[in-house]
Amino acid sequence: MPKLFRITQRLSQVVLVLFFVTFLVTILVRLLPGDIATTLFPFATENEKIAIRDELGVNSNIFVYYFRWLGNFLTGDLGIYYSAGQSYEEASLTVWAMLSQTIPRTLLIMVYTLGFSLLCSIPLGMLLAYKADTRIDKVISNILFGLSSIPNFAVGLGLAYIIGVKFELLNPIGYITWAEGPAEHIKSVIMPVLSLSLGLIATFTRLLRADIISTLKEDFVTMASSKGLSNRWILWRHVFRPSSLSLLTAAALNMGSLIGGAVIIEVIFAINGVGMFLVTSIALRQYLAIQSTVALIAIAYILFNLIVDAFMPKIDPRIRSHHGA
Amino acid sequence: MAPNLKMLANKPIGYRLSVLWLGVCAVFSIFGDLFPLPDWNYSDSEVLGVGMFSPGHFFGTDFIGVDQLSAIIHGTRYSLGIALTTVFLAMVIGGFLGILAAYRRGWVDAVISMYFNTTLSIPTLILVVTMVAIFASPDPFNPKTTIPRVLVVIIAVTFVLIPVLGRLARSSALSWTGREFVLVAKSMGMKPRSILWQHIVPNVLPAMLSVGFLAAGVVIIVEGGLALLGAGAEPGASWGSLLARNRGDISIIPHTTFIPVIFISITVMVLNYFGDYFRTQIDGRESRI
Repeated sequence: MPKLFRITQRLSQVVLVLFFVTFLVTILVRLLPGDIATTLFPFATENEKIAIRDELGVNSNIFVYYFRWLGNFLTGDLGIYYSAGQSYEEASLTVWAMLSQTIPRTLLIMVYTLGFSLLCSIPLGMLLAYKADTRIDKVISNILFGLSSIPNFAVGLGLAYIIGVKFELLNPIGYITWAEGPAEHIKSVIMPVLSLSLGLIATFTRLLRADIISTLKEDFVTMASSKGLSNRWILWRHVFRPSSLSLLTAAALNMGSLIGGAVIIEVIFAINGVGMFLVTSIALRQYLAIQSTVALIAIAYILFNLIVDAFMPKIDPRIRSHHGA
Repeated sequence: MAPNLKMLANKPIGYRLSVLWLGVCAVFSIFGDLFPLPDWNYSDSEVLGVGMFSPGHFFGTDFIGVDQLSAIIHGTRYSLGIALTTVFLAMVIGGFLGILAAYRRGWVDAVISMYFNTTLSIPTLILVVTMVAIFASPDPFNPKTTIPRVLVVIIAVTFVLIPVLGRLARSSALSWTGREFVLVAKSMGMKPRSILWQHIVPNVLPAMLSVGFLAAGVVIIVEGGLALLGAGAEPGASWGSLLARNRGDISIIPHTTFIPVIFISITVMVLNYFGDYFRTQIDGRESRI
């Protein structure tokens, strides 16, 4: 059963990495200077402070603290978010309640970004590969190289100024949910999505172009064209399918920087997403919120990579035979 | 000098422009103090929010009267300094760990690879923000114990950069150990340590150097991002923190935001260009070996 063995091996690796990731974050959080109870509730009485420390488990050693958090995390209890205005007894806002509001926003923006980037880069990449080494290819390729180097916060600030301030076409601040009005929702995500997409479009297009050029040299393409198949059919069926594989890998590889980019873009455009939540949690010393949010981000990131790996053989049959050999 | 200049003339135009830009940045960061400009954080209440190209203030000033050219020059030193230091440290430490893992295999490899995989499975910026926020945030009741911000940024970025370069060094070293000339050296009785130094390290280094350029670009972007999240260097000290400080005034004096943005973008572009350029050179070289 080599296949089953491979899957178990991979999964145990993932579990081990997840363990270390969450433990690393725990260490970092416990290293925060200052007394947590005093920072969270400066005006609490001494007895209340002792109760808070007990509840957070910061008196016990780091292993006990970690496994208590892990137990709660696995059973779906992400901890309490201690908001500044409330006293210790009233603290009832859970981290999950905050995340369940912020996750959909960030997720939607990322899905839009990936979708939009692929939508633009696939035809563009195919066009450039088709016109390889012509004048138009050279000009566009150089422009794309430049675009791929511009950080997304630079694009974001540029858009915010030109579209938001100079021409006042869109409101540069805030996020409106779909339920509050589909048109308003689209308008509120245009600039964040554009600023995250531009770099991705450039990266994807450059990759797809190089990939398609090398695929066009393969024997099976020559074979297909000598069979008399139409160019369009060859391009979609024989060339794009294997090339889409490296596109998918690139998408998975860029996921990490996309998450990081989303954090900054959320701050620039004042969107209450996961990134904004994390940044405020760090500023407000919300131990449990930081730990649970970073753990969730890491899990999502690792799972996404795992799924991409699992889907690859489905897209490119050649991988299946390589694995078998 | 003369042969160097001649060599430069044979290079593509992009290469020459990139060298020129890095040269300007180097002059800024080395001789920045010699320019007859006001201090980078001296605020002159006579000139608030002056536009670009005004007399005495080439890049204008912001709303607290800080000369932007002086701030940019000082920022060059910080931003490039942070990028150079972190990439250098990460190359040395990551290269050492990666080659060690590939050379020793067994449990050493397992431990080092686990560190690499763990760190790489948290998105870079998230990890760095958490680390900077934790180590740079003052103890509210004992503020003097705080480590300087820049140092924290350097340590945190190095920590996440080591796995990036280390994993590359590891896989590159692994692929070279399988090559014929290494097998020949082994069969001729060459000591493992000398094989490492004479055959593996010289071949791993060029690949790391080209990725080092890309990494330096990433560091500059990450530093800018950190500053925007309020976790970068001291306000106004680097390109990123200058941009973060001026961002609020974007609707009235946009040039104070866009000058650092442009400097960051061009520098990253230049570093990416060098990374790409050296990679194609190496690919050509490796296929000949």
